[in-house]
Amino acid sequence: MSIVLSVKNLSKSYSTVRALNDVSFDVPEGSVFGILGPNGSGKTTLLGVVMDVLKANSGSFLWFSRHGTSEQRKKIGSLLETPNFYSYMSGSDNLRVTQAISGRGAKIDIDAVLKKVNLYDRRWAPFKSFSLGMKQRLAIAAALLGNPKVMVLDEPTNGLDPVGIAEIRQLIVELREQGHTIIMASHLLDEVEKVCTHAAILKNGHLITTGEVEDIMMDDDDVVEVSAADLNALAAVLSKLGKEIVTDEKNHTVQITLPRGSARLDEINRFCFDNGIVLSQLVLKKKRLEARFFELTNN
Amino acid sequence: MKALIYTEWLKMRKYNAFWWIMGITTLSYPGINFIFHFVYQQIVQQQSQTGQMAKILLGNPFSFPEAWHTVAYFSSWFVFIPAVVVIMLITNEYGFKTHRQNIIDGWSRNQFLSSKLIDVMLITLIITLLYSVISFVTGNLNQERLIKSTWEQVHYVGLFALQTFSQLSLAFFIGFLVRKAFIALGIFIFYFFPFEPIIVALLKEYGNDSGRFLPLEISDRLIPRPAFLAKLDEAGYKESLNAIPQHVLYTLLLTGVVWGVCFWVNKRRDLK
Repeated sequence: MSIVLSVKNLSKSYSTVRALNDVSFDVPEGSVFGILGPNGSGKTTLLGVVMDVLKANSGSFLWFSRHGTSEQRKKIGSLLETPNFYSYMSGSDNLRVTQAISGRGAKIDIDAVLKKVNLYDRRWAPFKSFSLGMKQRLAIAAALLGNPKVMVLDEPTNGLDPVGIAEIRQLIVELREQGHTIIMASHLLDEVEKVCTHAAILKNGHLITTGEVEDIMMDDDDVVEVSAADLNALAAVLSKLGKEIVTDEKNHTVQITLPRGSARLDEINRFCFDNGIVLSQLVLKKKRLEARFFELTNN
Repeated sequence: MKALIYTEWLKMRKYNAFWWIMGITTLSYPGINFIFHFVYQQIVQQQSQTGQMAKILLGNPFSFPEAWHTVAYFSSWFVFIPAVVVIMLITNEYGFKTHRQNIIDGWSRNQFLSSKLIDVMLITLIITLLYSVISFVTGNLNQERLIKSTWEQVHYVGLFALQTFSQLSLAFFIGFLVRKAFIALGIFIFYFFPFEPIIVALLKEYGNDSGRFLPLEISDRLIPRPAFLAKLDEAGYKESLNAIPQHVLYTLLLTGVVWGVCFWVNKRRDLK
């Protein structure tokens, strides 16, 4: 799998504030790459640097294994921070400017993307008359113009209502299935967990971790949650497999902690059955990204 | 370059303020010349001795070849009107944050600034064409037939274009640095009207005329006062004519530095 974006030791300061500190990671082709972090963690600064609106103090980045150029940016559909358009122009005319600059798509594609984000009926209304959600949808339409293979989306669901959020989430999933690479900054962890394949977590400009979302959500150990009619008997049998056994009477489960990567559910099931216990539940527990995020960022 | 012009056209064509101010410019340039022409005719058409003396003394500054010079001089007073357009074209980009979006969408920083340079050049071209038409019409209206000297002072077209471009570039520079439309307009108008003229006058009196090196005065001296206004100081008039080639050089240098600084700063600064 080739690398779409490679960030190497990026650092960026605003006077005394260090917004990015030696950040490095790779974005694989075809991934939906979430950049997570609390407010002020450096997400938007990072995207600003790779889109050349901010200048890094040190470090470098490569798009498609080459140093960033304006020609490369033309191929990337981007929504950075807030939707930026000419307020006196209509949505359709603003997309014509986007099209003229980027060369992405043709005039006919403008109508298509406006339909996709449900703005077609308001295409001739001036941008200044749009609600925040409509502005956001126009920015997404601009990013979609010409069906770019790579998209950079900074808080794409900002200002959208629940229906709009679900639509954008579905759109991102569709784009992922079509093989697009999407780099998405967000502090909505639920959103990232649902759509991202990979993620990088930032805190105070430092990269805390990066990798596949599944791996990030895993603990250092495997936690298996099991249930049976007799919890005490179950706990006694499981204690032969591992030392950390926690019985949860309220939820009628027993949790066993095993070294990471060693939990084999089929073997646990057979072991219990051989010892006279019929399991009614057997799952390898994953932490929610939200819990993992709080753990990693010490919040 | 064609793509840059096309994109700028897309931005301007629906921008009402641009068309309003260009409309005001189109009216004000012939308007000021018409007023002076009217005043001149009122004076020289008097049958009194004073009127006849004025006619002999002033000649006809609105006939060829002097029309090129006279119209350029009066028209140059109104450069602050297109300067408003220039300032708004750049400060709008900051106001809407489209100076960032244009880069995100795929322009290089140099392309963004080149598009603005083209805007200033096109506005200069439009104003120069307007001035040329007014000069030609005024000269013809004051001439019964085309004479050999019609094109004698046509070089004022070039001087007018250079002066306009230089002064609009200074307006752009203020907008580029200040970013806020009203503050930039305020600074430019204040500097254009009372500030620099007062400093130039003071330095002329007390400072060995060093005010001639001030940003607007450098190009103001490309078009000295017309001959009829300089009747009382023939030597000074000749001196100002002789200084034009130097001021062409100074203007080119200053304008080059202004744009050079704009490109240099734009390449390095964060686009916030």
